Amino acid sequence: MNLKLIKWYNLPVNIYPNIMYIVLIVIAIVAIYFISFFNGLKTLQVQITASIQEIGNQLKRQSNLIPNLVESVKGYMKHEKGIFDDLTSARKMIDQASGTDAKSLDKAQASINKVLKSINVIMESNPEIKASTVVADLMEELRDTADKIMYARRTLIDLSADFNIKVTTIPGIWIAPSMGFQPVKGLDTPVTGDAVTVSEEETVSPKVNLN
Amino acid sequence: MVLGLNHAQLASRKDYFDFYTVTENLAMADHLPMPKIYVIESEAMNAFATGRDPEHAVVCATTGLLEKMTRTELEGVIGHELSHVKNYDIRLMTIVSILIGTLSILINIASRSMFFGNGRRSSDDREGGGILMIIGIVMIIFAPIIAQLIQLAISRRREYFADASSVMLTRQPSGLISALKKLEADNTPQQFASTATASLYISNPFKGNKLASMFSTHPPIDDRIAALEGMM
Repeated sequence: MNLKLIKWYNLPVNIYPNIMYIVLIVIAIVAIYFISFFNGLKTLQVQITASIQEIGNQLKRQSNLIPNLVESVKGYMKHEKGIFDDLTSARKMIDQASGTDAKSLDKAQASINKVLKSINVIMESNPEIKASTVVADLMEELRDTADKIMYARRTLIDLSADFNIKVTTIPGIWIAPSMGFQPVKGLDTPVTGDAVTVSEEETVSPKVNLN
Repeated sequence: MVLGLNHAQLASRKDYFDFYTVTENLAMADHLPMPKIYVIESEAMNAFATGRDPEHAVVCATTGLLEKMTRTELEGVIGHELSHVKNYDIRLMTIVSILIGTLSILINIASRSMFFGNGRRSSDDREGGGILMIIGIVMIIFAPIIAQLIQLAISRRREYFADASSVMLTRQPSGLISALKKLEADNTPQQFASTATASLYISNPFKGNKLASMFSTHPPIDDRIAALEGMM
């Protein structure tokens, strides 16, 4: 037999095994899709739980840290308030004494000396007045703590948005309920009331006036 | 290695409070491990990220940047750098430059075999060879330039993407916009910058250099600001 005469269409080959392979591959692809879909949602669920715990963690940090910081700043401020009170009273005495008789001037002089002495003692025990930097540090810590809680909540919001998009869009909405996934709430926010309405006054940018 | 080139020092929470805490917060929000943070003593304003993956990431800023930026602006800048970390941009740009290097080696081989490898051809193979030869020469001349431009284009796309991701993280385009405006206004030259590390910085370290900005790793800051303002 001349081999060159055999064409592909009259080769003695059974084509059914090929169809079997194709069906198997399609089933495998679908199975892989289902598994990765399920795993993706499960991962998001675990991350959402973790992010809720992170919010709790940050709140705990705040409640441990801030009162202690405030107490220590108060301590500093009390200490330095003494200095400022003494200074003010000395200044008052000068004001009252000026332009009147010599006797009250002498008296004022004596009390100013006394005040100055005590101020010197305070300054020596306390070479720098620090309350302003201490308060500035406290404000930075406060802002950082607020930021941390905000970002912890942001994580929860973003993760639950990802989860809900997967669960509520096609094809997720066809298969997610049968796998037992329901949309999650995310950050619990009232959907009515002040949080989602803007009143006329709120549209005006606030003017800051410190006088 | 980049850090060694740039004389960077590890930043502590106490000395660089805003830098440290902003990085910590944004890394938490972006599900990244806290990167190592470094500071470069320099008047110039810039920041960059490096490291092959998020576990080995490093974020570095100059002292000039840390002094002149407010916390909100710093959040924009750090968000940009963390986006480079999260999207493996450092690895991407390394791979791209390796591919471009390989290409230039191939072109080198091709050009040598073209000029010196003619001996093997038989004489009846020569018809039409002239045109092919000219096309070949043109390709050899332009391929490295085109490859370079593609690399720069990828780098610029990643910059826009990093800006966008930064805003997605902080939800405050105004912070990054004012940070970019400050960067644009700043004209201090950077002695520590080298072309090898240029694509990693937030703003192009070679300011004022005409040729460098034509083939820039970064899009013009005005365009980046316009893109961000489009998001507001």
